Amino acid sequence: MGGACSRKRDHQVIEDSVRSRFSARFSKSGSSRWLGTSFSPRSGVYIQGGRGKCPSLMELCIHKICEQGIGNYHSFSVLPRDISQQIFNELVDRQCLTDASLEAFRDCALQDIYLGGYPGTTDGWMGVICSQGSSLLSVDISGSDITDSGLVLLKDCPNLQNLIFDYCGRISDRGLENIQGLSNLTSLSFKKSSKITGQGMIAFANLVNLVNLDLERCGGIHGGLIHLKGLTKLESLNLRCCNCITDADMKSLSGLANLKELQMSSNKVTDAGVGYLEGLHKLSLLNMEGCPVTAACLDTLSGLVELSHLNLNRCELSDVGCEKFAGLVKLKILNLGFNNITDACIVHLKGLTNLESLNLDSCKIRDEGLANLAGLLNLKSLELSDTEVGNSGLRHFSSLVNLETINLSFTLVTDGGMRNLSRLTSLKSLNLDTRQITDSGLEALTGLSGLTHLDLFGARITDLGTNYFRYFKNLRSLELCGGGITDAGVKNIKGLVSLTLLNLSQNCHLTDKSLESISGLTALVSLNVSNSRVTDAGLVHLRPLKNLRSLSLESCKVTAGELRKLQLTALPNLMFVRPE
Amino acid sequence: MKKEETVKLISAEGFEFVIDKKAAMVSQTIRNMLTSPGSFAETQHGEVTFPEISTTILEKICQYFYWSLQFASGKETEFHIEPELTLELMMAANYLHT
Repeated sequence: MGGACSRKRDHQVIEDSVRSRFSARFSKSGSSRWLGTSFSPRSGVYIQGGRGKCPSLMELCIHKICEQGIGNYHSFSVLPRDISQQIFNELVDRQCLTDASLEAFRDCALQDIYLGGYPGTTDGWMGVICSQGSSLLSVDISGSDITDSGLVLLKDCPNLQNLIFDYCGRISDRGLENIQGLSNLTSLSFKKSSKITGQGMIAFANLVNLVNLDLERCGGIHGGLIHLKGLTKLESLNLRCCNCITDADMKSLSGLANLKELQMSSNKVTDAGVGYLEGLHKLSLLNMEGCPVTAACLDTLSGLVELSHLNLNRCELSDVGCEKFAGLVKLKILNLGFNNITDACIVHLKGLTNLESLNLDSCKIRDEGLANLAGLLNLKSLELSDTEVGNSGLRHFSSLVNLETINLSFTLVTDGGMRNLSRLTSLKSLNLDTRQITDSGLEALTGLSGLTHLDLFGARITDLGTNYFRYFKNLRSLELCGGGITDAGVKNIKGLVSLTLLNLSQNCHLTDKSLESISGLTALVSLNVSNSRVTDAGLVHLRPLKNLRSLSLESCKVTAGELRKLQLTALPNLMFVRPE
Repeated sequence: MKKEETVKLISAEGFEFVIDKKAAMVSQTIRNMLTSPGSFAETQHGEVTFPEISTTILEKICQYFYWSLQFASGKETEFHIEPELTLELMMAANYLHT
């Protein structure tokens, strides 16, 4: 954030939104272990939160226990299971669980232990965790320092269905041996476990009830897929970014006839490897992003009648062979970004009328090619960033009345093309990060009152143009970094009270007055006013922005010390601050 | 207080608490008993016996009912819970859905 030039956002692969199977409450993300939780509202906010719902007596009791510490209670095993489960969850949420308090949960017949990312989870905790015995169904100890010896006790929990050991870098093949008897497992996840090898995967061979297996970023599992051959109940397999899966590995998947989702991005699989999928007729999602496959793989894929999500982003496609796309009529989501394809390929997408999302980022697409999209009436999302599309191409969009998201950054479109966009009244998200767009282009869009996201990062909007923001009252995110805005322009942003993200960086004329103008935007979660004349004295205006989690004021007259003070005294949710 | 606007809650030891029906209905369990058509004897007599809830706990629960009504009307005070009662109170709260 705050770089001096325009930038392009990395679009997260579509598959993430399809379904997140595992509890994503906690995620270990490098520097800030707790980012994941702190971003989601705490379940039991009460009283202090004010104006809240009346807490139940149960909630009050649980809060009481958490506050007092549970030194008074030697064991919760006298309580019914659902109550001790609630206490446990609350202690975890509040980060109050310690070595000592954990002990009170021994033999409580808990069903779920979700400690993903919880600080201090070590092998020593496994004793209490596994004492739940046959009651225990789910365990998440992602991001912990658990080692192989911590897994030994898992044998006492034969009914386990769901195990999540993501980012546990110390677990190796020896640890896996302890789960090989847990045949009731339906979901198993070992993201980024670099010590696991192909040989070690033999521990999975008897987990015949497994439905979901996640080995994302396990770089050592080449040769191990052979042990999955008998797991015919598998419906979802995630091998993203393993970077070691080859065509030979793919052969082992050919009999997994129930497979519905296969994530294979960033591996070494070629067209021949894709060939082994030909019998997987239930496959509805396939992600081959970044694999060296060409359009020849469509020979196989066109036989997969259920295929609705296909990601071929950053592969080696050219126009040759693209006629086979015509057969993939069930496709809803198609990602062809960063391939060497032209309008000649787009012609074959004409009949894919079920398409809802199409990504052609950085492909050699021109205006003529877009004519082939005019009949895709279900299209909701269209990514055309870095293509050669210009104004005349936008004419073909008039029929696409369901379009909600369109990205035209770094294209050739100018103000003159905006008239064609103005009819797309379903639009919610519009990216016009390109220098050719100016105030008059914005004026043409004032009918799009449903917009929630507007990216004008590099557009040349001036204070005059900011007058049109009053037509976009629903905006939740706005990027306006073309350098032409002054304090007078920021005044016009005042009324956008739904804004959660506001980026005004690179407008070097902005002063503390701008901060005053936005002090009423209390929904803001992220604010960037870098490269401006904002000073320490202006920080006082940010105090009401209690929801702020990210604040960037690089290259301003703001000192890290004053920012820190602001963070400590007024903005408890602030996690990301620049400068620090 | 008119009789039909109150209910009698009876503890394990037989101690009786006469409280506003409105307060008692903070408990989902009691609400169900008092409002389900005809099936519970409690509906007719406006009396509910709790053979598993001690007098101390039931008293605390009645206090909570009134505290909750106050809270709902905007008076957000703190509800005090004695540490030694917490576990028993939880079991009762669980049963009473409150």
